[in-house]
Amino acid sequence: MNSAAEVSAPPRDARSFRRRLIGLIAVGEVGVLAAMALLIAFFWLLEPAFLSERNIRAILNVVSFVGIIAIGQTILLVAGEFDLSVGSVAGLSAVVAAKLMTAAALPVSVGILGGIGVGALIGLLNGLIVVRLGIPAFIQTLGMLFIGQGLIQVVTGGYPVYPLPEAINTIGGTDLAFGLGWSFAFFIVAAIAADFVLRRTVLGRNMYATGGNKEVAHLVGINTSAYKINAFITVGALSAIAGMFVMADLGSGGTSIGSGWELTVIAGVVVGGVSLFGGAGTVAGGVVGILMLKVVQSGLVVIGVNSNWQQIAVGVIMVMAVGLDIVRRRYFIAGA
Amino acid sequence: MPNTTQAPLFSATAIAKNFGGVQALRGVDFDVVAGEIHALLGQNGAGKSTLVKILNGVHPAGSYTGTIQLDGRPFSFASPADARSNGVGYVPQEIEVLEQLSVAENVFAGRTGLGAGMLVHQRKLEQRAGAIFADLGIDINPRAYVASLTSAQRHLVMIARAIVTKPRVLMLDEPTASLSGTEVDALFAVLRRLKAQGVAMIYITHRLPEVLAICDRATVLRDGQVAVRIARENFNAETFIFSMSGQRLQRLFPEHAAPVGAPTVLEVRHLTVAGHSGAVHGARDINLCVAAGEIVGLAGLLGSGRSEILHGIYGRVAAEGEVRVTGQTVSIKSPRDARAAGIALLTEDRKRDGLLFNLPVGANITIGNLAPLSRHGMVRGGLERSSILTAMRALNVKASSPQAAVTHQSGGNQQKLLFARALMRAPKVLLLDEPTKGVDAATRHEIYRLLVELAEKGVGLLIVASELEELIGLCDRCLVVADGRIVDEFGRSEGGEDRVLRSVTAAQAERHAAAAQVSA
Repeated sequence: MNSAAEVSAPPRDARSFRRRLIGLIAVGEVGVLAAMALLIAFFWLLEPAFLSERNIRAILNVVSFVGIIAIGQTILLVAGEFDLSVGSVAGLSAVVAAKLMTAAALPVSVGILGGIGVGALIGLLNGLIVVRLGIPAFIQTLGMLFIGQGLIQVVTGGYPVYPLPEAINTIGGTDLAFGLGWSFAFFIVAAIAADFVLRRTVLGRNMYATGGNKEVAHLVGINTSAYKINAFITVGALSAIAGMFVMADLGSGGTSIGSGWELTVIAGVVVGGVSLFGGAGTVAGGVVGILMLKVVQSGLVVIGVNSNWQQIAVGVIMVMAVGLDIVRRRYFIAGA
Repeated sequence: MPNTTQAPLFSATAIAKNFGGVQALRGVDFDVVAGEIHALLGQNGAGKSTLVKILNGVHPAGSYTGTIQLDGRPFSFASPADARSNGVGYVPQEIEVLEQLSVAENVFAGRTGLGAGMLVHQRKLEQRAGAIFADLGIDINPRAYVASLTSAQRHLVMIARAIVTKPRVLMLDEPTASLSGTEVDALFAVLRRLKAQGVAMIYITHRLPEVLAICDRATVLRDGQVAVRIARENFNAETFIFSMSGQRLQRLFPEHAAPVGAPTVLEVRHLTVAGHSGAVHGARDINLCVAAGEIVGLAGLLGSGRSEILHGIYGRVAAEGEVRVTGQTVSIKSPRDARAAGIALLTEDRKRDGLLFNLPVGANITIGNLAPLSRHGMVRGGLERSSILTAMRALNVKASSPQAAVTHQSGGNQQKLLFARALMRAPKVLLLDEPTKGVDAATRHEIYRLLVELAEKGVGLLIVASELEELIGLCDRCLVVADGRIVDEFGRSEGGEDRVLRSVTAAQAERHAAAAQVSA
């Protein structure tokens, strides 16, 4: 665990500048932040409009949706599992909530709770099947990705759910500050809370132990099954919330909400130093990773690069980030 | 009966090997003649496996001194494959099969030139494997998938794999470790056929009845030297036991005497433990007790069920029976329950079952012990740090800081770290599985002292260790485990290593006789 606060705790004896530098680089998030700063400077030099208010707002708005899921995915990866069904779950929860509010004419709050319930329930199902039946998370959640996409079509019959109650449009249209709305506020609060839980609480520590070595965690008395299942439920619920925020933003329960998010989210958190093998990474890192991916995508658009190249860039960055992370672990943490 | 005076087919002369200052072999001579089964005996650490690894090329030429001769000509093997192509085959102790492939494919795994070019001729493989099995009197369908075989049958597949290349010398490393009585008989029939074909065999084992049953000569290693070499006509279990345990370099154990009349902290009644998946042995109907301040040892061979007893008590594997801690019956369904009852376990395999490599040294110590170091579920950083430093100082864990990575610690330091974790909750009962495995001599001593200190504080200790000298030197009382049962019990000064070997041998002989009766 690269807890920033712990690493930067006041050194007992005077460390040389070199050691201090190494200590700083050993903090996972610093590397990604530095890389992002370089990229921002690069895009800004090529096209000053990159740092326009409008563009920054657009980036942050997109990040808030995917970022909410990234928080959950980071927690789940730390616990040693992962979820490919997040995009489907986001979409399914959105259209179910929309149907509850419109076709079933239920209150908005019931619709929202119903949407979150669908996400949490799918998370529970994923968790139970992975933990109790021993089906690999890759298979189970890939299956759930298809099931979710199918269910979206079943629920909507292929047509977007529209119009939605006025309250939903209000949630989507509120400008709290700098043109950012409730989804961004939720994202920030949830990220800070989740980062704190992983860094500072017994629950978080046990999560790292579970993801680091399940058998060891079991032997020291940790209920690893419960931790994993609850992490799946958390991802499911957060995906549902992200899906509903997009729905509010669009003003309709579109059938393509969440489509393709699963890979963006995993690529992003991995760029931010969250390990695919479990037990390593922080929410701050995962969130910064997502931000960096979106900065690159937006930057390439702004400087006028063909959209096909954006995907190539995302792929290259992800592999490079993981490669750098491996190097960093080998050479810097070794000296800790 | 082979003529042991004929020229040896395969011989080693004055073999010596160092492992970083530790003299594993000190000038060992060994030879085997065609059609002979030569037993290689000795306790753990006597040098058996080092010798075998030299003879089959795992330790390549140049990493040891001495000469190896095959057919009177000097040979040096660069690798196991090199040894194999020169006619020296090896069947390792662990079962190494490819589960997803058929028996025939396993027998020929890694062999080339079996079909037309790149393709494998499936039927030809099966026919050839079938011919080998028929030749050896093995009844296994070559088309069966290895996943469906018992561990005994898998062992036979491994032997078939080793003899595909028609070796003239065959080394078998504890081939009966996972076999039952009748399966041992089937294996012996195979070995007798190979013997009749003139194959020279080196048979490594811990089981004396098997040596008496099938071997022509026996060499006992002790402390890296040949203690004695005995021909079949002079075979005698007593002689073996004496020469295996014999006089050894004395190791110092701290003084300790179990307190008289101390209350019982751990009592186990009729505990029956399930075997690990695939393993034959669990443990059955175990009754034992440990008093406060007492050090009790579980002696027995690998696979005897000694570790399973610890795992059963700790709730790591399913077990039935009664466990009482300080007189209170406790229901232990998981390690969590065991810890709540005041039982701690130090596992044998640090890397697999002990350390969390993703967490630093400090968090490795406090994991599972965070409840008293937190408030409302939040870890109190300062309190955690100070208790980590206290624990590190108490156990002399030599890490640069609590933030240091676990990977870079020495084996001894890692072990002390795990002790710190186990002791943080001040357990009443400490279960230890090979507490000094893979640690240096100095740390080993520290651990001995620590164990005695814990006993003096009133903790009850139950220890499993392969090194009998360690167990005898440390424990107030020894329970001998064989075949998942406790077969003997003796106190300090009532016996030594020889007594353990004798009771294990007696238990094996009994089982052998029982199995023979069943099959007769």
